[in-house]
Amino acid sequence: MQQTEIYQLLKQKYGFDDFRPGQYDVISDLLAGQDVLAVLPTGTGKSLIYQFVGNVLPGLVVVVSPLISLMQDQVARLNYQGEKRVAALTSQVDFKTRQTVLNQLASLNYLFVSPEMLKQSLVLSALQAVQLALFVVDEAHCISTWGPDFRPDYLGLGALKQQLGQPLTLMLTATATQAVRQDILTQMQVPQAKEVVYSVNRPNIYLAVETVNDEADKRARLQQLVTSTATPAIIYFSSKKQTDLIADWLRETTGLRVAAYHAGLSGESRFKIQQQFMADQLDVICATSAFGMGINKADIRLVVHYHLPTTLADYVQEIGRAGRDDQQSLAVLLYAPGDEQLVRNLNDLTAASANEIQLDYQRFQHHQKPVDDLAQVLQFYWEHQYAVDAVVTRFNQRQRAKATELSQLMAYVQTTTCRRAAMLAYFDEPAPEHTATCCQLAGTGLPVTALGLQATARTVTATVTPWSTVLDQLFLQNS
Amino acid sequence: MFADYVLLLFTTAPRRAKALFNVCRGRRTVSTLFAGLTADRLAWLDSWHGVPLSKFEAAANELVQAGWLQIPAPGYLQVTPAGVDQQKKLTQQLYQPVAWAQFQEVDVRRFNVLNQLALQVVSEFSHQTNRYYPVTTDQGMQATVKLWFRRWHSPQLVSQVVAELTGFLTTLPSPLADVFANSLTGFDFPGQTDQQLAQLFQRTPVEILVMRKDLNCRWIAWLRQQPTGPLAALLQPLVKANPVSVSAWQTYQDFQQGASLAQIATRRRLKMSTVREHLLEAAILTPSFPFEQLLQPETRQLLAETYAQTPSLTQWRFEQVQAVAPDLDFFYFRLYQIMRCQRAAD
Ligand SMILES: [Zn+2]
Repeated sequence: MQQTEIYQLLKQKYGFDDFRPGQYDVISDLLAGQDVLAVLPTGTGKSLIYQFVGNVLPGLVVVVSPLISLMQDQVARLNYQGEKRVAALTSQVDFKTRQTVLNQLASLNYLFVSPEMLKQSLVLSALQAVQLALFVVDEAHCISTWGPDFRPDYLGLGALKQQLGQPLTLMLTATATQAVRQDILTQMQVPQAKEVVYSVNRPNIYLAVETVNDEADKRARLQQLVTSTATPAIIYFSSKKQTDLIADWLRETTGLRVAAYHAGLSGESRFKIQQQFMADQLDVICATSAFGMGINKADIRLVVHYHLPTTLADYVQEIGRAGRDDQQSLAVLLYAPGDEQLVRNLNDLTAASANEIQLDYQRFQHHQKPVDDLAQVLQFYWEHQYAVDAVVTRFNQRQRAKATELSQLMAYVQTTTCRRAAMLAYFDEPAPEHTATCCQLAGTGLPVTALGLQATARTVTATVTPWSTVLDQLFLQNS
Repeated sequence: MFADYVLLLFTTAPRRAKALFNVCRGRRTVSTLFAGLTADRLAWLDSWHGVPLSKFEAAANELVQAGWLQIPAPGYLQVTPAGVDQQKKLTQQLYQPVAWAQFQEVDVRRFNVLNQLALQVVSEFSHQTNRYYPVTTDQGMQATVKLWFRRWHSPQLVSQVVAELTGFLTTLPSPLADVFANSLTGFDFPGQTDQQLAQLFQRTPVEILVMRKDLNCRWIAWLRQQPTGPLAALLQPLVKANPVSVSAWQTYQDFQQGASLAQIATRRRLKMSTVREHLLEAAILTPSFPFEQLLQPETRQLLAETYAQTPSLTQWRFEQVQAVAPDLDFFYFRLYQIMRCQRAAD
């Protein structure tokens, strides 16, 4: 396809005059039959890429995605855009619906599938029987054993791609270092794939780190931030319980419209909170960082991390939700001395000693089911005939990788020079020159007014709408 | 709190805790159903579907700690005198469900989702929009609502739906109609979450959850009474003729047409024990069950005499009758218990 044709289709189908950074390069490479590994910052409209290619090439677009909630969001978004021939296959889908989806594969345009579902022979053989337009691996960094987000389910994907007859493949990720990119290509068995790498730098997000004395100090600072700074805002926490507690506390003490958002909520509640946030009916969302939010809200002005993220790559991805409208936005990481221990504890949860690994191997030999998360990870290796020694080595490597990630994150937190430079160095990117709207240097204040991010007038808290008013609002009747 | 509602599940008579929890969780084994019948808690059947047993057990532990429940024998729980006072307080303060019996005859959970989606579709349609995020991405639910919408699509649809909703909501005492309406989703109205409704109406989230479950059941009950509108039509395929499972109902029908248990077993290729389980299920869930057809006068007399001194039938031990009639099958013993229970309720 010629460049002009591609632009015509963009205008005609999506109503845009121009692509966002990276989109055009990836699309034109794919349409030329090249496998592509695309590293594009969040908010660049990754889904437009596979939708575009799916529109041009005949056949089904298969998207492998690690998070069920993300998949449901993607399906909802496609539904929203009027695309109805889309389905998701996850462990949450009951057997009957699964069968129906598999029987109708030929008439679908998009199939979202979790890696463990893709491995099932029924699913695999159904996919082998239809034409594939594109095979997409979303969050492709999960495949890298070097990466901190490694998921064993992703390991077999290279082999599965072979079994599906080597379809055109797009690997997508928002953040990946050089080593992780190399590993993705090796695992997916596509050494010749084209790499399209765009800068993770988001110049319109001011980077700040505020060091506080303790938990009480941190709370007070958070309260001050959300009341004095422009919203909508997202505050990230590392625990569900804290998310709920602080959401309640902020709502009571600030009068702002605040909601908690995490995996513990019902699907219905998550849907409503997302929609309220989109409709500007919420000022602040308190969320767990482990839980992805699929809704693309362009005007988020503030992202606060109440706890440390696990890695700098996660941090970049999470603050990337701010300022997608390219307007000035602010990212603040609140740090109390000792916070890094929480990350270490989380890392330890997935650690295992040689002894534990040996014991789990005995469990496997005795045909006992895996009982915890660790055993479930190990189960994958045993089922794929890994030797105990090899697994011990891998686990040690992963723990070292995690320790390295943490020290790189702490380097960002504690740097006395430009934070943006420290962040970009992690991705092997050169740093732009430091300016007044770049970052908060250690020991300086937060220039909220200079950034134009002062709080604006706020609406009052919600009240009960009488039921007859609700019906009038919901249902427009021709009178 | 969830534990408050768990306390209301019990009485001062000892009850098998796990069986009652399983009634709430929608387990349909004969022993669970029998426990529900004898404890007069069949109305709770399936009302807490999907809640893990461990959550019930944790709540029960809390109640024992608080001194409101006690453990008269392993596996049993009963309300203490302090618990009776607490129950009185709770029944005055807490919202009490009135329509949960719908869970027995209707696929309430499926209807909830269909109803929420259908109302959203009609709301967006009335505002002439078609770009919106559907409340559910479930393919099957979407297909059902799409078909329903096509069938009912007309210039009158919006007013018909509003008429149904208004008809129902005017029957509700305050603040129930407002809770129901504020939880809906539609055009430019995402709806309130349970957490938000709890703040708005100054109730706990669990109470709102109970209220909303009950409101859905009340909505279903109302639609069953007014079966001509579009939402009643959406509900209709989810209503069963009776609470008995399909397979057990078939066995019961064969039996009513005069087939012997052995004939049913052969015809339906079932084990004799399964046929008996089916009939017990039907007997528990059908107050008009023809017990006399299966229980001969001699059997009834034997059982009545054996347990004449034991008025509480949950304390009957099968071994007592076995001692005098070693050949009597447990089936007849259990069936007689069910009969006594059903007739005592009248
Ligand atoms: Zn800087």
